[in-house]
This record gives sequence, C-alpha cells and structure tokens, in this order.
Amino acid sequence: MFLHEYVTGKCHPAIIELMTKKDFDVVKRDKGRFKFDWHKYKLQICEVYKLQLKRTNIILGLICLTEHCKETADAIEISLIEVSAENRGKGKQYGNIAGCLIAFACQQSIEKDHGGYVLLAPKTRLLKHYQTAYGPLYTYQNRRKATRYHVPGWRRGRPSD
Amino acid sequence: MKKGKSKSYDEIFEALQQEYTLEEIAESFVFPGPQGPEREAMLAEFTAFRKHARATETPEEKLIVRMLELRFQVQHYLKTDAVDEHLHFAHFLKEYITRLAKTNKDFAADIDIDPAELSLVLNRRRQPTDKLIYRLQIHSNENFPAVLWFKLLEKERAYELSRNKELIDKERKHVKKGLTFSFKKLSK
Repeated sequence: MFLHEYVTGKCHPAIIELMTKKDFDVVKRDKGRFKFDWHKYKLQICEVYKLQLKRTNIILGLICLTEHCKETADAIEISLIEVSAENRGKGKQYGNIAGCLIAFACQQSIEKDHGGYVLLAPKTRLLKHYQTAYGPLYTYQNRRKATRYHVPGWRRGRPSD
Repeated sequence: MKKGKSKSYDEIFEALQQEYTLEEIAESFVFPGPQGPEREAMLAEFTAFRKHARATETPEEKLIVRMLELRFQVQHYLKTDAVDEHLHFAHFLKEYITRLAKTNKDFAADIDIDPAELSLVLNRRRQPTDKLIYRLQIHSNENFPAVLWFKLLEKERAYELSRNKELIDKERKHVKKGLTFSFKKLSK
C-alpha cells in the first residue's frame, strides 16, 4: 500500500504490522501524537496493528481489531483507529492513513474466513462523514434505539497492492 | 481532571471538535462502540444480520470472496522469505480452478489449452508456458496478473536451484579462478 505525501505529491510504500511491546511504550510516551490510551489494549483479546512507512519506523496510525467467530458475528470489528497528530486535519503530511487501516481490516476479514465483513459502531455524528470518506457503506438503524447505527458490511475494501 | 488519569473517549471527542471538523475527525479516528448490555444488543443484531447475509449470498459474491482470499494467499506467500515446497505454481493454479468449481477439462476449454498440457502442468511434469500464464491473466480479468504467476515460478525456481546439490557439484569442475572469499564466512 502507498501513502500520498501532500507537500511533494509523491507516494511512499507503507506497511502494517502487529504492535510490539516496545511500540506500545513508544506510543505511550508520545502523548502529543496519540490521544487514545493504547496501552490498555496491549493485553486484551484484540490485536493492535501499526502503520508506518517502509523506510522509517515512525508510527503514523494505529488500529485495534477484534475477531468475532463464525458462530457469533462472523466478522472483524474495528474497535479503534487513530491517526497521528501530524497527519490529521488541514495541514496533514500524509493522506489516507485511516483508509489503508480500514482496507487492512477488510483483508484480515477475508483471510480469516469472515467473508470480508467488517463491523464498527461509529458515533452517530460521524456516520455520514465515514460514508463520505470511505464510500457508500451499507448501514442500517438499530430498531431499538433510533440514534444508534451499525456498519455491518464493508465489503468494498480491496487493499491496494 | 486528576494528573495521570486518561481522558474518557467522550472527552477526547469533545476536545477534538475544538480543533477539527467532524469530517476531519472521521478521517482520522474510530471511537469505541457502546459497552455493556448495549454492546450485547448490537452484536446480537449484527449476528442476525450476518446470518441472513450468509444465507442470501449470491454465487458471484461467494466467488469474489474466494478469489480475493486466494489472491491474498499468493501475495502473502510471495512476501515472505520462507519457502514452502507445497506452495508451488501448480498448487495455486489447482486452487484457482477448484474455487471456480470447474473440472480441469472445462477450465482447459475455457482458456483454449490442451487438457493434457494442463494436466502436466498441474502435476508438475511440465513448466507452464508464457502463453498459459497470459491466458490466466486474461481469464481472471487481470485479478491474477501474469506477474503474480511469474513471481510464483521464480520463487519455485530459486528454491529448486538452491537445493540441487548434485548439479552444483557437477558444474563445480567447469569453473576456474573464482572468488576466494565468501560473504557468509566474512560476516562470522
């Protein structure tokens, strides 16, 4: 996969790998770049992955994935995503970091035999923006609570080579 | 807030809204979903949805998933340095045909190849020709490009070359005035 650098217009190869113990320590110390408390996901059943450029070891984005087995939701849940501070908003350095992380979740869902289904429960106020940023998601409203949305299927994602 | 205590996700969300638009937040964050009974209800509903989706999946949708899975397997295998002698070109071609739910004969007809030739390739008695590889690319609508198949062959060939001790020893007597140092030994 490739990340687009806004200043130069160039694309740079990036990789996604599982977080190591050392990475968690780095992220914990780097409070200026990451706001979530990622350390508490270190020992949980979910898996935390990092995205970085191939040529550096600077973490640019993080994703926490939870696998739901075939007998239950039969999908990969995106529990959390965070892009580093310098890559958010108007002056961001690299684009499409979260998009690459979401595509990676889709790939994991295929590889782990969940049919490409990815689940996340977005904040209601963000739902339409996820749809704008990542394409027309199949969503439906929870009948029990009108303000809660689910994103049951995200099968459009084909990670770039 | 007490020093050292981490902010709640709602607090972080509120703080982010001072700095970024909602669109920018969605481009950079996914917040955790509901917890407790609400999460249980959400998962139960999703499980029902998923069950229904599985039951109503079209054959084309199933094929897309199966082929994507195979392509990821090939890419993953090519990315790793490790060699698995069972994961050769013929293995992945057999998988491709199996996932199409076709017989070898039907598939050979689809790509206009002699069934006997396909059989020899699948049984590793003959190397696939460029013609076959390009036809695989065309058949797969470029979802499995020729380069992907060539890389599989290349990896297989590299493995065979590194293990053919008999041939290496046979060729040794033809080589004179070679390099006397070895990078392997120098690095020790």
